[in-house]
Amino acid sequence: MSGPRQDSVLAAEVPTPHTVPPLRIEGVSRAQLENGVDLMVVRRPSVPRLEFRLTVPAGASLGPSGAVSELLAMGLPLGTATMDQAELSERIQDLGGSLQVHQDHDSLVVHAAALSEAEEDLYQLLAGVVQAPAFPADDLATERAKLLEGLRMARATPHFPASEALQQAVYGNHPYGRPEPGDTAVRRTGRKALLDFHHQSFSPWAAQITVVGAVEPRRTVARLRRAFGAWSGPKRVARAPRVRALPGGEMLFIERPESVQTVVMSARSGPSHGHPDHIPLTLATAVLGGGFTSRMMNNLREDKGYTYSPHARLENHLQDGLATATMDVRNEVTGAAYAELVYELSRLCTSEVPPDELETTKSYLAGVRVIMLQTQAGLASSLAQIRVHGLDHHYLERYSKQLPSTTAAEVLLAARRYLAPTAMTSVMVGDPGSREGLEALGRLRVRRPTRVW
Amino acid sequence: MGRAEAGVGARTNWAPALATYFLDNGLEVVLSPERSSPTIGVGVFYRAGFRLEPEGRTGFAHLFEHLMFQGTSKVPKPHFGNLINSAGGLLNGFTRHDYTAYFEVLPSSALEMACYLEGDRMRFLDINEETLRNQVDVVKEEVRVNVLNQPYGGFSWLWLSQYAYSTFPNNHNYYGEFSDLEAATVDDAQEFYRTWYGPGNATLVLVGDFDESVARELVQRHLGPVESRERPHHPVLEEPLPSRRREFHHTDPLAPTPQVAVGYPTAPFGHQDHLPLALAARLLTDGASSRLQRALVQERQLLLHIGGGPHYPIGDSFEFAGPALFTFEATPRPGVSTDAAVLALDEELAKLADQGPSDAELERARRRELSAYHANNDSRLGRLRELGIMAAVHRAPQLVDELPERFSRVTPEDVARSVRSWLRPETSSVLHWECSGRKGAGR
Repeated sequence: MSGPRQDSVLAAEVPTPHTVPPLRIEGVSRAQLENGVDLMVVRRPSVPRLEFRLTVPAGASLGPSGAVSELLAMGLPLGTATMDQAELSERIQDLGGSLQVHQDHDSLVVHAAALSEAEEDLYQLLAGVVQAPAFPADDLATERAKLLEGLRMARATPHFPASEALQQAVYGNHPYGRPEPGDTAVRRTGRKALLDFHHQSFSPWAAQITVVGAVEPRRTVARLRRAFGAWSGPKRVARAPRVRALPGGEMLFIERPESVQTVVMSARSGPSHGHPDHIPLTLATAVLGGGFTSRMMNNLREDKGYTYSPHARLENHLQDGLATATMDVRNEVTGAAYAELVYELSRLCTSEVPPDELETTKSYLAGVRVIMLQTQAGLASSLAQIRVHGLDHHYLERYSKQLPSTTAAEVLLAARRYLAPTAMTSVMVGDPGSREGLEALGRLRVRRPTRVW
Repeated sequence: MGRAEAGVGARTNWAPALATYFLDNGLEVVLSPERSSPTIGVGVFYRAGFRLEPEGRTGFAHLFEHLMFQGTSKVPKPHFGNLINSAGGLLNGFTRHDYTAYFEVLPSSALEMACYLEGDRMRFLDINEETLRNQVDVVKEEVRVNVLNQPYGGFSWLWLSQYAYSTFPNNHNYYGEFSDLEAATVDDAQEFYRTWYGPGNATLVLVGDFDESVARELVQRHLGPVESRERPHHPVLEEPLPSRRREFHHTDPLAPTPQVAVGYPTAPFGHQDHLPLALAARLLTDGASSRLQRALVQERQLLLHIGGGPHYPIGDSFEFAGPALFTFEATPRPGVSTDAAVLALDEELAKLADQGPSDAELERARRRELSAYHANNDSRLGRLRELGIMAAVHRAPQLVDELPERFSRVTPEDVARSVRSWLRPETSSVLHWECSGRKGAGR
């Protein structure tokens, strides 16, 4: 990959490097347990710890309701038949460890770590958590109260309602567009619903375990087999249906009286990992709003001073990649800022990215990838994510080779397909007074605040 | 789990190499090579934070941080960011009470460029009207997005100190009053740069994949020529401890439910209670097995959340050079008052002060610290940050690698004593964060 541009305005003495090292992921072992659990173990002995990820298809879009999915994730650390949540937490901490449960549209991820000397004990504890969670009624009631409070707080922010409305507008009836759970649904979700969803979705046939750390892969596989080998469950793997692209082009304004900024989010559903357009679109999105030197950053922040952290990204789900551009702008410039965003999208769709800028963006993406995969935690999370797509570390290595050979013409084509301003769906949340500047730019659907806390 | 047999000596064998020295111009240099991945971290920490802003210029330290990305006479805007990104690197900065940090994480081939760029902006920063006005606008948007447009915006880290302290350096608005930000001039910025951004007031940290002798040479080549400047005088930060609990009320029109923060002036760096209090924070609030989670969230069902510690929630035990608060933030359950929450907190702290922690509890806290130490070392930014803070704020970078061993010498009685001495109701400040109901909040 070629080095950074040498502009005539730059002093000649600036030393510039010429290589981003190729990405290599070494020390990878794979195995499958007899009950179907798919294992990937990477020896990376940089520090005496290990990172563990277990994914199952129990993501937010797959439960019988949003409340069930969220409470299942919150309920796993509440303990097992033989251990309450405080004791479980004690025993994990005794290992220098941690346990969290995350969720995205497609997967539930058990996210754990420990000192590597405690490897065997960690797996034994996690096997209990994953296979036989207790969801004790008292603690579950507390989690419900926490979730209700969390939702109340989230609804008081401008971003949560914006992203909820955006997903609904982009995905329609597809489960990725499912609204956040309402209070009634949370209150009604009991232990039985969690046990049912757990039984359906936590199958060893659908489970993937990724371990990265100061471990000996053969011994690690044996330890994982001892912990997870007796896990049994139905041989079915749930996944969200294909995303059917909606026409897009809608502008929705949600009123938030007295808001001192307008949140602007624009999005379009596009391809995910493995699709030929995926890398060109990743590049187009990064040119638009990735990193410190993107077009949104240069134009909207460093030139106009309209906003603090404008950005764009491609968010990868199993069934699509959601290209989004986001910014928080002060009320007086809401229309002007949106016009600049439309201009930047138009520019991406009408002229090729100049060679210097494209090279900078490629190096940035390649470098960020190397940095992200440098830690045990970053490597474990990235591998776990990519494995959900049926891909592996070779895909990540290949990506770092394909990125440099992507052409400006391919980026232009991807931008036209997925970032045309007329096909983006936009949601704005702000004070009603900020609507004025926007109304000249397209047909605005207005939603008054319907729900107070 | 009886893991005490895993000796601390063996654990700290994992510490990466560390070398510290000074250039003739006064710049402190910390090198920590670790070559397990082809990446480096480069950071410059200036001993200049929120607390030395002059009156009438609140928010200036952070505003100035923004100006450090606005180009120099040799590398004009926007080339700094372009150069870092096109080398495959990330960059950012952050301003805290007693220091401001700038960092890049890059492929190792960019070591010389990063040294050049840091030396360049220490010498030739281009401060002009256009970029200053632009960044005043950007910072105001930052304040809006993080504080004014959010429920609980800036709660405790930004607001509690404004009530808890009595002198300007400690109790002003660190993000800045808009009128002060708008009044900032190019002359102010030049003066600030001259006074606080000289090599004698800075620490350069390099971590990761490099050869130590090569790094020494590059540092000398690119930062050696920076002219030394007079060492600035830091303002006096100490102020008398309060003698009774003070209660404050703050109304947030966006907040849907009340919360409460309690701040206790905490032991200074080097005090015998300083490290015990770091472990106390762990065993009080870290995870479902911690004392406060267990007693107040699970058993007595008074709270939905509680978190806390020295400099919580934006820092840790080592962030501050002067007075600091050990802070708790709590969300009461619906129907529980913030007063009841504070009373229950007092009771739990009194128990810990009386009886101390069990051996198992303390060992657990130590093992979490040890694990966090290793996790930090695995990340370029993590290692860089720990070394930079310890060097810039305390002139003791080697302490980073000694901490696991020092924590192992803390006894249950040390923890009890430190809680008894510092987490006392009579010196504390309580901030009741109230919702106005103006926007339909409440139950």
